[in-house]
Amino acid sequence: MKRKNKKFQKKGSNSLNRLSLFQKNDGRFSKNCPLSIKNAPIIDYKNIPLLKKYISDNGKIISSKITSVSFSKQKKLTKEIKKAKTLGLI
Amino acid sequence: MAFYENTIVTKQDLADKELKNIKSKYEQLINDTSGKVVKIEEWGLLNLATKIRNYKKAFYIHYKFEGSANTLKEVEKKIKLDDSIIRHLTVKYKKLDTENEFFKEKGDL
Repeated sequence: MKRKNKKFQKKGSNSLNRLSLFQKNDGRFSKNCPLSIKNAPIIDYKNIPLLKKYISDNGKIISSKITSVSFSKQKKLTKEIKKAKTLGLI
Repeated sequence: MAFYENTIVTKQDLADKELKNIKSKYEQLINDTSGKVVKIEEWGLLNLATKIRNYKKAFYIHYKFEGSANTLKEVEKKIKLDDSIIRHLTVKYKKLDTENEFFKEKGDL
């Protein structure tokens, strides 16, 4: 009988909690994707101001771990950035 | 009949007259081979992020047109022959959005 009570233990100790023990959780993990809000900017190789936000100063694409962009949007973003690079716009 | 977007990057030291006939040449070519030009944008003289064939600035012409496979073949063949064009990119789209202009005549980057 005792075994069953143990099973209903609260599962609260996922990775986030352990992390917040040591450092202030700067909300970077919980932030939702800035590109999939309602009227998000169009991801296009012509939309240079938007693409510039997601590349570093020497032209490298910033990883989605840092910019918390969702996976499908990050794939579209990299394609458009590479198209803009071939045209010499970025 | 798919929708295509074709951008042409031409040399910077072209006379204005030459730019005009380049623009009209390709427009006329698209219309000939069963295509229909929806819109032409001129992005003007932009400075390039990287040096292409040691040019620092380049003139951009952007076509939005509807066409079939052989219009694309014709346009690509002509572009490869033309030596005043240093870079080109054609993209296929299901439907074209022609209303938002990213490169106003100011050509802000």
